[in-house]
Amino acid sequence: MTDGQTIAVEVSAIERVTPLIKHFTLRRAEGGPLPAFSGGSHIIVVMRTARRVNRNPYSLLGSPADLDRYEIGVRRMEDSRGGSHFLHDEVAVGDRLEIAHPVNLFPLDKRARKHLLLAGGVGITPFLAQLEDLAVGTAPYELHYSVRSPDHAAFKDRLIAGHGGHVRLYHDSAGEAIDVEGLLSAQPLGTHVYVCGPKGMIDTVIDTARACGWSMSHIHWEQFSAPPVGDAFEVFLERSQRRLSVPPDQSLLEAIEAAGVEVPYLCRGGVCGFCRTRVLDAGDGLLHHDHFLSDAEKSGGKSLMPCVSRARGKHVVLDL
Amino acid sequence: MLVSGIKSKPVYSPLRADTSGRYHWMLGVGVGAAPLLRVLAELRTLKPDALSATRVLYTPGATIDAATDVDSATSVAPAVDAGSFAAAGVAETRWFADEHSLLAACRTVLETAFMGTRLYVAGPESFIGLAMQQSLEFNLNPDEIRAEECGSRARRVWCVHCRRIAEQVTTNIVRCPGCERWLLVRDHYSRRLAAYMGVMVDAEAPGELPPIRTVFQ
Repeated sequence: MTDGQTIAVEVSAIERVTPLIKHFTLRRAEGGPLPAFSGGSHIIVVMRTARRVNRNPYSLLGSPADLDRYEIGVRRMEDSRGGSHFLHDEVAVGDRLEIAHPVNLFPLDKRARKHLLLAGGVGITPFLAQLEDLAVGTAPYELHYSVRSPDHAAFKDRLIAGHGGHVRLYHDSAGEAIDVEGLLSAQPLGTHVYVCGPKGMIDTVIDTARACGWSMSHIHWEQFSAPPVGDAFEVFLERSQRRLSVPPDQSLLEAIEAAGVEVPYLCRGGVCGFCRTRVLDAGDGLLHHDHFLSDAEKSGGKSLMPCVSRARGKHVVLDL
Repeated sequence: MLVSGIKSKPVYSPLRADTSGRYHWMLGVGVGAAPLLRVLAELRTLKPDALSATRVLYTPGATIDAATDVDSATSVAPAVDAGSFAAAGVAETRWFADEHSLLAACRTVLETAFMGTRLYVAGPESFIGLAMQQSLEFNLNPDEIRAEECGSRARRVWCVHCRRIAEQVTTNIVRCPGCERWLLVRDHYSRRLAAYMGVMVDAEAPGELPPIRTVFQ
């Protein structure tokens, strides 16, 4: 995926839906339909700020049947490196952005006899599109949606209008919580569970499902990690014979791209595994932040995901 | 004559206990009792609590074809004593006269089963195929169902020309019970149909048949 393959879009509407989440509507800048997608897909939004280029993944939340527009929900991140702040503070209706083609790393399993969707906070976004697919299907489905308080219940009206009988809302502020174990211990055979939300919620759902005897093929989750801020480090690209400095608030992938070296990527959030890069010398150690490599692969130190992972020392050598 | 290396041909490995499951259902035919008893012993060692959620559906071994003949269905000698599964600690054992009634009972079980269920199948390949085909309707995935082949290797063969199934095929070439074409039994397997593909063998030179040999026993 390179910038040459991006689509120019215009921001046609911006709505603040909660104190932290803004809802952006994007249309093709030159008019016409956008590429088709399935529920659970995300796009990469390319943001050219004064300091650098940010490329952040956002789930498409609109109906897959409506290709006149793409809709994304952007939560303002506290420790943002700039992407969500840029969209929240600097982008206005009429502005142009670049996006990459949609990719689905969080698809519904079409063979499921039942779909159980668990959302936390802004994790509701991929489910909004999936619900459109589920509403025209035959398999039963339920969405359990957990939010801080009523004013944080993003897209609540849309959910209730379209899928009222299938949706249950839980407010932390009222002491309400999804009874994960109760739900997962009594689901009919062939049920698939999908979870999107904070890391703690995803871990709880996976662990509880496993404890209830669920097999991994029925458990699905998506959590994009923002590239974490870390200490500066240096990296040597063996094949290109380039030495780069990676500052604290730049990701390794961004540094490599800024040097003109291309690395294939899809999600830029440590999920898809596309940017997996061979490590020739791990130096003082690697700081893995992805959800893709196994623990053994992480400790093995032979590869890393430059989209979110970093290095500790000054002698890291990559096969690039 | 048989094309080898066809990827769809199922490969089975010895049954092992899956301690990640919460409910264990075991389906056994004839000598399939032995692998099931082996898994029960393994469960007793690895996760003794699981035995109280383990149930066995067993038939001494009448095949689906033979099941229409009640005398032959009941004349098969069990490969296991009636009390063996209970002695191994399972919560329940149900005995059936034939594969057909066993699979019907299994369907009833799956209709009300919860996520966390694991299926173990031990018996002839044709039975494994039918059990797997049924489990597909319930979206049981390969990480929820395990099978060990033991007993007859006779195949179910699907005529690609008229779509009839020939049961209990033991020869490399078989006459289709529907359209009466001579079919070469291929290794090409369909999980959806629970059958190997049979393709007309003398299409180019009618009547010229390769030697017919017994190859699936």
